[in-house]
Amino acid sequence: MSDISDHSALPDDELLAAEFVLGVLEGADRTAAQRLYQHDLTFAAMVADWERRLMPWAAEIDEAAPSASVWNAIAAQLPGESAPRPSIWQSLAFWRIFALASTFAAACLAVVIYLGTVNQQGPLIAAIESGGTRSFVATVDVKRGTVAIVPASFSADATRVPELWIIPDDGKPRPVGLLRADATVTLALTPELAEFARNRATLAVSLEPPGGSPTGAPTGPVIGAGKLTSL
Amino acid sequence: MDLEANRALIAGAIARIPGGDSTALQTVYRLTSAKLFGVALRILGDRGEAEDVLQEVYLTIWRRAADFNATRASPMTWLIAIARNRAIDRLRAGKTSRNMDPIDAASDIADAAPRADVALESSQDRARLHGCLDTLADHERKALHGAFFDGNTYEELAARMKTPLGTMKSWIRRAMIKLKTCLES
Repeated sequence: MSDISDHSALPDDELLAAEFVLGVLEGADRTAAQRLYQHDLTFAAMVADWERRLMPWAAEIDEAAPSASVWNAIAAQLPGESAPRPSIWQSLAFWRIFALASTFAAACLAVVIYLGTVNQQGPLIAAIESGGTRSFVATVDVKRGTVAIVPASFSADATRVPELWIIPDDGKPRPVGLLRADATVTLALTPELAEFARNRATLAVSLEPPGGSPTGAPTGPVIGAGKLTSL
Repeated sequence: MDLEANRALIAGAIARIPGGDSTALQTVYRLTSAKLFGVALRILGDRGEAEDVLQEVYLTIWRRAADFNATRASPMTWLIAIARNRAIDRLRAGKTSRNMDPIDAASDIADAAPRADVALESSQDRARLHGCLDTLADHERKALHGAFFDGNTYEELAARMKTPLGTMKSWIRRAMIKLKTCLES
């Protein structure tokens, strides 16, 4: 951004906020601005100010009616919503069978992980579930201070990523890391988090924007939780 | 509908979303989807793509509703910004902006007049912005227009206006500084 020093009437980061809101950035510049927006409150406030200045221009844009199917597709992705027109992918029975099959697969994997990481301080395990649906199985290796998370019945979402939280007795969730729908993820626990795990904390998974929760606390729906127990 | 009442209705529905109230999201959708779809469609130029983006937009609203602060921003400002941002993300994931027609910096085609039929934004804010846009040089206003309505990047604007990239960056940055100064005077 060396070529903007001639416009010193605005600081560089405020120009970046202006360019970001206007939408002229691309590639690494846009990514950098998005990251700042998520993690830097001062920058986020500048973005909000530019939005307030520029968005009234959108009054010139004509309204247009989207197809009725758009709302149905949105509603189907909200927690607790039943899809309006069930197909095989929306059939509860199908997903129950799928969940059972994948839970079995997850249990097998958990055993494999257990056998692979067995040590004197036995592992702790938590099934992360909600309403009878198990989304992930987590195994904590107490000695190494790691947690391995196996996806069970969890389907990926193009706009959100699953994030793992550990909730000790104080009830305040601490971020552990991002998970994957298609692969086991092993995350390192800080000494503080490992201590929570040893004290049988609860693990929970929420859906967050790509890159994880911007606030350090869960911002999206919690898709499941489970208490750690010894195997 | 009365502007203030409409605004309060949208803001109130957004405030109920973080509790997991999907009917609140449906209310927001009912009141705002035609506008947000128009915004996405204007930038993407393709109904299918714009509908995909619209889905992402309302799922983002569902997830981020707790971030909305009604005392600091108008709900439509917040919602339109999310829609533009998502549409531009989609555009950048593809190749080029839809509208790459040359822009003649010297031609004397006036911007569309502010529309009176959109009850969702304050006409005061709109008039103020238009007053300040009018203080810009023609080429500056046209460059901003291409960026805002067609989702063009610096490079695309430079190509459309047959101007070196560095010059285009200067135009836009200078225009944004002028705009801020004018809006805050």
